[in-house]
Amino acid sequence: MSLHRADTLGGHAAVAGIGATEFSKDSGRSELKLAVEAVHAALDDAGLTPADVDGLVTFTMDTSPEITVAQAAGIGELSFFSRIHYGGGAACATVQQAAMAVATGVAEVVVCYRAFNERSGHRFGSGLQSRQPSAEGVAMGWTMPPGLLTPASWVALHAARYLHTYGLSPDVLGHVAVADRRHAATNPAAYFYRRPITLAEHAASRWIVEPLRLLDCCQETDGGQAVVVTSVERARDLRHAPAVIAAAAQGAGRAQEAMTSFYRDDLTGLPELGVVARQLWRSSGLRPEDVDTAVLYDHFTPFVLMQLEEFGFCGRGEAAAFAADGGLELGGRLPVNTHGGQLGEAYLHGMNGIAEGVRQLRGSSVNQVAGASAVLVTAGTGVPTSGLVLTADG
Amino acid sequence: MNLELEAYQGLPSTVAGVGPDPVNAPMIRHWCEAMGDTVPPDGVAPPAMLQAWTMGQSGRSEHFDSLMRELEAAGYGSVVATDCEQEYARPLRIGERVLFDSVIESVSAEKHTALGTGHFVTTRMNVRAYDEAAGEKPGEATPVGTHRFRILKFRPTGKGERPQAVDTRPRRPRPVVNRDNAGYWDGVAAGELRFQRCDACGTARFPWLPGCNACGGDQWHAEAASGDGAVYSKVTVHHPLPVAFGGKPYAVALVELAEGVRIVANVVGAAADQVTIGMPVRLGFQRFDEELVLPVFHPAGPDRLPPLRVPLTRTLIVSGAIASRDYQDVHHDAELARAKGAPDIFMNILTTNGLVGRYVTDWTGPDARIEAIAIRLGVPAYPGDELQFSGEVTERGEDGRTVLAIRGTNRLGVHVSGTVKVRRHG
Repeated sequence: MSLHRADTLGGHAAVAGIGATEFSKDSGRSELKLAVEAVHAALDDAGLTPADVDGLVTFTMDTSPEITVAQAAGIGELSFFSRIHYGGGAACATVQQAAMAVATGVAEVVVCYRAFNERSGHRFGSGLQSRQPSAEGVAMGWTMPPGLLTPASWVALHAARYLHTYGLSPDVLGHVAVADRRHAATNPAAYFYRRPITLAEHAASRWIVEPLRLLDCCQETDGGQAVVVTSVERARDLRHAPAVIAAAAQGAGRAQEAMTSFYRDDLTGLPELGVVARQLWRSSGLRPEDVDTAVLYDHFTPFVLMQLEEFGFCGRGEAAAFAADGGLELGGRLPVNTHGGQLGEAYLHGMNGIAEGVRQLRGSSVNQVAGASAVLVTAGTGVPTSGLVLTADG
Repeated sequence: MNLELEAYQGLPSTVAGVGPDPVNAPMIRHWCEAMGDTVPPDGVAPPAMLQAWTMGQSGRSEHFDSLMRELEAAGYGSVVATDCEQEYARPLRIGERVLFDSVIESVSAEKHTALGTGHFVTTRMNVRAYDEAAGEKPGEATPVGTHRFRILKFRPTGKGERPQAVDTRPRRPRPVVNRDNAGYWDGVAAGELRFQRCDACGTARFPWLPGCNACGGDQWHAEAASGDGAVYSKVTVHHPLPVAFGGKPYAVALVELAEGVRIVANVVGAAADQVTIGMPVRLGFQRFDEELVLPVFHPAGPDRLPPLRVPLTRTLIVSGAIASRDYQDVHHDAELARAKGAPDIFMNILTTNGLVGRYVTDWTGPDARIEAIAIRLGVPAYPGDELQFSGEVTERGEDGRTVLAIRGTNRLGVHVSGTVKVRRHG
């Protein structure tokens, strides 16, 4: 990867398997157990066994270490293990790590996983109480005493400036909220299964942190999701057609912070995703119009709009009109989050979105985009982040 | 209980009251020292002292005492002053003797309040004065002003529901301090908002970091912000609502300072929905508990009074009570205050009124005269806290008259809100 030149990672590795636990509000079991179940499910999906695995990648935020997952999942020796930082920003980067390991021969089969009891255990939305005086703690510490304590509050402070700059009402966020729930409504795994919402319901939902309403916020979920990465050649011999990793990128912006980048530029964009977008387009050789569907990280609706702009699907300040015009819906200009997203399906820190990207290429999504052959997937927004372009083989 | 309280309405509560002392320099000086105010020039008394000259038993009618006895017998044993509305027809000068009469204007039906259940009793006093020192006679007295005073005679709610001592309240998250940003918090303690400036390239920066993002330089110095800024972005937090933040929706703003750096802070002195992007604001500091002081911002502009912080020392509360000749034990004796259910002594309404007067005259300077102060008390003011005044012009008349809305808040909430009318001369 490079800030300045196309990289050569694309085309070497593929996602060969995806697997998840059920998504619930109370899993009734440990986070480690969820992780092991997800890893097994993904290996089964690929037609591989624990004995085939020589690499594991997860998030620094995950509580289940690679070695413990290996120990409990029947995985033996590991030649590669890695963790990515910055919350949901890690999601696509776990696949990038795996692809780099596979492309260089460091490992042959790498499983990326994320599992937590984010609803029945520690809820991110319950609010920070304190932080250690590390560099990271100090960075977060500036906003705690005045009362920005939750992810919703950090995102809202960006969103308020975005809406103000473009003269938009918070109601425009409803187009994202509605599109995701409409997709979730046909997805049996989704929390919003059979429960589409209307713009009026969005506008009537209670404020969480104004300008964000309840229906602008993602689910809180217990569950685990894993994906299996191996070489394209090996993937061709496995159970499903490979989802080729055409490009993978990480990005951090200048003066980047984790959720609290309030002190740079004009707060109307996501510069770290701009870094990711430049690399993905350059390295994949694709352009926005070549993408059939996208999974855009949606812990909160406003950052979905900003991502459309950062990736060039529309101009600056035009995303609300793009969404209002049905652009995110099936049959629209860019069907987004066809599984329902984290707003509608489940909040799995972006890993469930990678799985949906794979399903679209396999033709097995509950909201299949006909003939989808190129999918964009993004990871956590407001933090140092990552993205993938997945394409059909051949 | 069915009390015959309406019968008291219209009956006199003070008849032919005479101020025990003429308006005099020592009492004025004592008052000004207590309030932290400047002694007015030309022998004029601070207008908010009006009631102080009338304190004592002179002229007290049996009707008022009988009303109080009846309410006490009915179980409304506690009393708290809630409102004070004064209009000043003319200044009072040293040497004048004050005369006053008052009536029981109204006795409310039984009301349920945060403090307890009881009846509001409102009295209205007319105050006159004559220049005794210059040999004038009582018959030559001319109107000085009117004074409407409202108290609540009440039966306190259960102890658990009483306002708690400030020390036991949940506290806001603590600042996260290490070697890289200690200088910032030292600045806050010194009443300054300090940002960094790179010695190599001159770029101002916030948050605090040991090096410059613009050039990588590691040499820097701290500068104190001028305090002017504007709201760059703003949210209103509705959920979750930690008790430490008052338990109701609150505004958090990203303020861009005149120097170009931004900081996340609360905007105080304005309702959350009144804080808007682009609004000019002015730096202040607010104490939230014994150890936490934070920079805050107040709405700014020509129609805004600069904020004033008044530390609520025990000395201020006691000396204010004594300077206003209010010897109620709850204002100076902590043991007796606790016996009556309060966590500590608390400020009397006359002192609050005096501080409101001081806040306004600090802003107007000597060329203006206060014509009226009307205040309502909210939460009590206990020692160890801090009172933070903010105010804005709500009306500008053509004859130099200005109406101000004033608020004084402390850790428990809004202690006083009210209206002050001032008239600027020439």
